Amino acid sequence: METQSYVSVPPGVGMEDNFFSLDDILLSHERLTSRTECLFPRLGFLEKSSDSRDIQEGTKMEMPLFLAKGLYERKRRVVSVELPKVYREGWRTVFNADPTVVDLHKMGPYYYGLGSQMLHFDSPENPEIAQAILQTFIGRFRRTMDSSQNAYNEDTSALVERLDYLERALFKAGQSGLNSFQSWERGCASTLTASSLVLNYRKRKITDLQA
Amino acid sequence: MDPSEVEFLAEKELVKIIPNFSLDKIYLIGGDIGPFNPGMPVEVPVWLALNLKQRQKCRIVQPDWMDVAKLEEIRELERKEATFTPVPSLYYMELTKLLLNHASDNIPKADEIRTLVKDIWDTRIAKLRLSADSFISQQEAHAKLDNLTLMEINTTRSFLLNSLNCMYKLRSNLQPGSSTGKAQDY
Repeated sequence: METQSYVSVPPGVGMEDNFFSLDDILLSHERLTSRTECLFPRLGFLEKSSDSRDIQEGTKMEMPLFLAKGLYERKRRVVSVELPKVYREGWRTVFNADPTVVDLHKMGPYYYGLGSQMLHFDSPENPEIAQAILQTFIGRFRRTMDSSQNAYNEDTSALVERLDYLERALFKAGQSGLNSFQSWERGCASTLTASSLVLNYRKRKITDLQA
Repeated sequence: MDPSEVEFLAEKELVKIIPNFSLDKIYLIGGDIGPFNPGMPVEVPVWLALNLKQRQKCRIVQPDWMDVAKLEEIRELERKEATFTPVPSLYYMELTKLLLNHASDNIPKADEIRTLVKDIWDTRIAKLRLSADSFISQQEAHAKLDNLTLMEINTTRSFLLNSLNCMYKLRSNLQPGSSTGKAQDY
């Protein structure tokens, strides 16, 4: 049965993120290069490269997303965040040309999620970024659907390694639908089988009796 | 939904059997099942038919549509049309599996029927994937598909809904400023 006792909180919609979603929490740990716009007094210990007591104005630092989002203000007095290169003009034309060949896992495993969060930072290229992410998803959808629905009982790691986390979740959903249908068709849907986790323990006496 | 659940729903369909015992009409909550006389065909739900068959109390008569010529016609029609053609029975896949597993001795040419039904299924699933792909690539909001059966919908359901959700999320990025600070209750 597919009902689970634990229902995970899904990642948030678009620019919002869910506080309790594990995917969003992991996503917010991605580091972004950003530039401080004002002095951070007595926080020099955070910046390993310089030895001063405070963080000077205009220092380039790597901040995780949650910190950058919290510090960012519309009046732009505190930090300004640079767009990661995957979302910039150069890579956007690559994605426009052919989205299916790109290894999205290497580009940052949370490509779609991070892209949606970057829209918080009011870059002038926001509409183009949003459009590029959408078009990439649509372009890769066919490939994901075909590979998830046709790979039965094979090692899928080669197919999955080029997908980012959003697409992997879709792939898993497609695979589970396929697997449950195939197992039903063979008639093993209603037979009880020992869980593979327990088989590994080799403590089950009944199998020794039968052997 | 599980395929087993869909199969459970399919077992409500009526099928003709020829019993070899006699029994008066039985009154069940779901409906009445007519009197059983040996040698006289009677319509019963599939769950009862399979149970009687396993106890060797009846012989199952194949449904009208489960015939090699008819299925070949349906298969050719399905291959020609770009849209979904009307199905012989709303639960053709489940009924084929159930009846051919339990009563293949009562149904002639069982293997050919199995192959034909599998062909029809594969063609329909391919059409379903094609239309899902065009749905997503054109970013439509509504689609209407006629003549789909529950089993076919069931195999695609989780994948298609999740991808439509993802697409919705990414599309909502294009309209910024719609909602800020929404609280979620858990």
